[in-house]
Amino acid sequence: MKTASCILGDAFFAEGFEVQDAPRYGAERRGAPIFAFVRADRHAINERGVITRPDLVVVADETLVTVAAAGVLQGLSDRTVLLINSAEPAAVWRERLKLACPVVTLPASGDATERAALPHIGAICAGAAARLLGVISRASLETAIAAELAIHGANVVALNREHALAVFDALAPQAGMVAEGCAIAVTDQAPPQWIELSAETAEIAAPDIHAAATSVRVPTGLWRTLRPVIDYEHCNRCSWICSTFCPDSAIAVEADHTPRIDYDHCKGCLVCVSVCPPHAIRAVPEHAAVEEPCRAPS
Amino acid sequence: MPRALLTGNAAAAWGVRLAEADYVPAFPITPQTEIIETLARWFDGGEMSGRITMLESEHSMVTAAAAAAATGTRVFTATSSQGLLYAMEMLYAVPGWRVPFVLVNVSRGVATPITLEPDHNDVLAARDSGFLQIHCANCQEVLDSILIAYRIAEDPRVRLPAIVNMDGFYLSFTREPVEIPDPVAARRFLPPFAADAIEFRASRPISQAVAVLGSSQYSYFRYEAHLAAMQALTAYDEIAGAYAAEFGRHHPAVEAYRCDDAEFVFFMMGSFATKARDAVDRLREAGTKAGLVRPRLFRPFPVDTLRRLLLGKRGVAVIDQNISFGKGGVLYAELASALYGQTGAPVLTSFIGGLGGRDFPPEEFYEMARVTRRAADEGRAPEPRLLYTAGELREMRKLQAIALVERRELGDAP
Amino acid sequence: MKEPLIRRMKDLPSTHLLGAGTAMCAGCGGLGALHQVHDVLGAKAVFVNAAGCMTLLTTYPFTPFRGSWLYTSMASAPAGAQGVRDALDILLDKKRLLPADDLSAVVLTGDGAAYGMGLSATSAAIERGLDFLYLCYDNEGYGNTGQQSSGATPHSARTATSVGERGYPGTKKDLFAIWAAHNPAYVATVIGAEPLDLARKIETAASLRGPRLILALAPCPAGWDFDPAQLVEIGRLAVHTGIFPLKEFRDGKITHTLIPRTRLPVEEYLSKQGRFAHLFSPWRNDEAIAEIQAQVDRYWLNAT
Repeated sequence: MKTASCILGDAFFAEGFEVQDAPRYGAERRGAPIFAFVRADRHAINERGVITRPDLVVVADETLVTVAAAGVLQGLSDRTVLLINSAEPAAVWRERLKLACPVVTLPASGDATERAALPHIGAICAGAAARLLGVISRASLETAIAAELAIHGANVVALNREHALAVFDALAPQAGMVAEGCAIAVTDQAPPQWIELSAETAEIAAPDIHAAATSVRVPTGLWRTLRPVIDYEHCNRCSWICSTFCPDSAIAVEADHTPRIDYDHCKGCLVCVSVCPPHAIRAVPEHAAVEEPCRAPS
Repeated sequence: MPRALLTGNAAAAWGVRLAEADYVPAFPITPQTEIIETLARWFDGGEMSGRITMLESEHSMVTAAAAAAATGTRVFTATSSQGLLYAMEMLYAVPGWRVPFVLVNVSRGVATPITLEPDHNDVLAARDSGFLQIHCANCQEVLDSILIAYRIAEDPRVRLPAIVNMDGFYLSFTREPVEIPDPVAARRFLPPFAADAIEFRASRPISQAVAVLGSSQYSYFRYEAHLAAMQALTAYDEIAGAYAAEFGRHHPAVEAYRCDDAEFVFFMMGSFATKARDAVDRLREAGTKAGLVRPRLFRPFPVDTLRRLLLGKRGVAVIDQNISFGKGGVLYAELASALYGQTGAPVLTSFIGGLGGRDFPPEEFYEMARVTRRAADEGRAPEPRLLYTAGELREMRKLQAIALVERRELGDAP
Repeated sequence: MKEPLIRRMKDLPSTHLLGAGTAMCAGCGGLGALHQVHDVLGAKAVFVNAAGCMTLLTTYPFTPFRGSWLYTSMASAPAGAQGVRDALDILLDKKRLLPADDLSAVVLTGDGAAYGMGLSATSAAIERGLDFLYLCYDNEGYGNTGQQSSGATPHSARTATSVGERGYPGTKKDLFAIWAAHNPAYVATVIGAEPLDLARKIETAASLRGPRLILALAPCPAGWDFDPAQLVEIGRLAVHTGIFPLKEFRDGKITHTLIPRTRLPVEEYLSKQGRFAHLFSPWRNDEAIAEIQAQVDRYWLNAT
């Protein structure tokens, strides 16, 4: 996503816009959801920080849309264009999310999880965004991709350019559907809801947690793009290997030595897949796994 | 109780002993080392029960102090100058833990250049940290302030660590008459430490001082620590009143000497302020209506009291024994912001002296009063003055001549 | 010492004390070691933390610990442990704390703090005879800030601050030797890839009093550049190439607890990590690889 925002930023800049772009990390960890933003204006940009009223939102990983914590739909208005990397049609998404704003889906095929994990997904997103914005030329897009990815070598640049331009061309019918936003007048802006904070007891006013293991409320299972699935017919019931080596305490072993994976928390590191001696654990794309519930032994 | 002659350091040690502190993480530095040596003797001899542990740096020392307070013990520590600065990361960190303890700072000028004599740059560098600050003018106040500081710090409305400041040499190594309170009365005034919910116990897991991501969440904790510090204004008044009731000595948040009908007021902190009292008396005899206002409580800053005392006065000579390079005196800026825009705000003059223990002879007080009178008459204050005399500069030139002459004699050749 | 509880693999715990849902990277070797350690130590511990990756284990209002936690600073976690331990001892002496409510103090830091900024505080804590456990998760660089080189970075490794074709010019500090030179109660190296060895050592450490220090090699997918699924394999290779000796120090003696029968060539370990890729591509740096091999060979010659 950082690549996408840099390519888009470069392309805007090449077109003569003032630009401000930055990535934002959620948990600052490999595997955790991240997002990036780009501001472009014909005049110097004074506003800063997270964009509260986006004109265009591009979603590379569709599984994040329905996750409230990821905040994908935050700040959407009726005029925001929502672009989702998904095989499902736009109409399905509008219905599912009860949206009044325009929705566009990226015209690509293949598995959603795999697509989101593609190395060139950034260029694809940038290419699609460029077309929808309408103010970025094909040439500027090409230049931006070459500049941002030069460090990875000519082959990588070529691959990304090819995919980005394919999407750019395919979205011709929707070219320019993203409109420039405008400033909100003073009188149209509601006043802030300032309050007088009162002094509270140290017990709650100190950054202390008066409880144990509250981390279980954090659904790190969202990080996964692949999930480990145990084939219980081949599992030896060794009682310890996968459970001990899982760094996240996401595999518990029952009294009868049956291992259970906690999918709310499994990050999909797949260490368990590697260590299981009879290879009884396999990796399944997350999207496919959601559609087929994993079968536990009866 | 009869009075004895005690140094400021000895008085501090007595304050800690009467407070029945459990734990003293320590590290030596001039001019406070006598405090921890005295406490070590008492722990060894059984006059105090608990422990003193030598840490290997002041940064570790303050960490250990807060950690022990977070575990549920009454903690004391002491430092000065470079040591306070070395601990500065933790001075900023531990108030947010919301655990109380008392740190005595024996103020000493900070490097560069390195020196041993006092001024207030060290303790004022901690003014934004969240530690409460009480500044003492004599050895009696040092002892009394430690007991008062524990009770305020441990007050449920506050729960913040507190610095009690005394000037190095002028108080730390100088004996003055001090009444040592009766231990039973001291315990009546200061009951045992109650940690409430913030302590480490196996039966009650707690994660303390955890990371906070998110600007609104971070802001909440920071604002709350500030609000707690503001609560100390009320707590101080109540507790100083309780101390007066028990021991007969009242130490209000701000000392006001001959202030009621004063036209011109000296405004300063610490032990040199007693010199200002004498200057006030001499000026009065000479026909000037002079007074002195001395904040004991510096954090929280007693804005309302200072407004009540100073609005309506013609002029205030703010005497800073510290300097913020590129701006001037810290006390001056603090007071100016408290009085700005208020009806009857006096003209303020700014004087910076006392650095590295530089004395204020009487003639300097009289001259500051004269300058302030003129400023009030003209309705305009002069630029801040760095106190320094022609004689001092002459002496400086002699030393400089020595420092430079060798190089000239030897020249550049090896 | 009483008969150890963990004799065989099947004695290893089947449910785990350390809660899931932390912000550590998928496949984190440090977390892998910590969750095994926490099981053996139990919940009656206060983890005293220094700045590093694991500072983010506990972010308000989420903590994975069944016991307690205190964040201090990068340099002073051992001093924090000193304050906690001293206070608990005082409270016990003064009968203001029931023995059942006592906790053990466990310092948890990365290599950045342990090898560098926190070394002074550690040295002093050992010298004072502090009764505590120190667990260092060593991912051989300043991981939380993006894997810049630290005192723990091995020779030739690529880090964010050593990107030339020779990699890191320095050598890895021998922290085990530095700690052992203080003659503490116990020092041991462990790794999550060898759980039985790790569990026995933590059990031993828990049964002793005084300063006990554990150095856990923490293979780091993000910093060392390997697929997280390879975590345990990388750890095994570190041990079986002889690069990471599993040993303990006790009563003045060093004992190796796992001696590889035939040591695998170091390049089997190096070639699997992107941080050593420059030793193999675009051309093989035989000299550098041989140098690393020679260093390992020398160690084992002297050790056994």
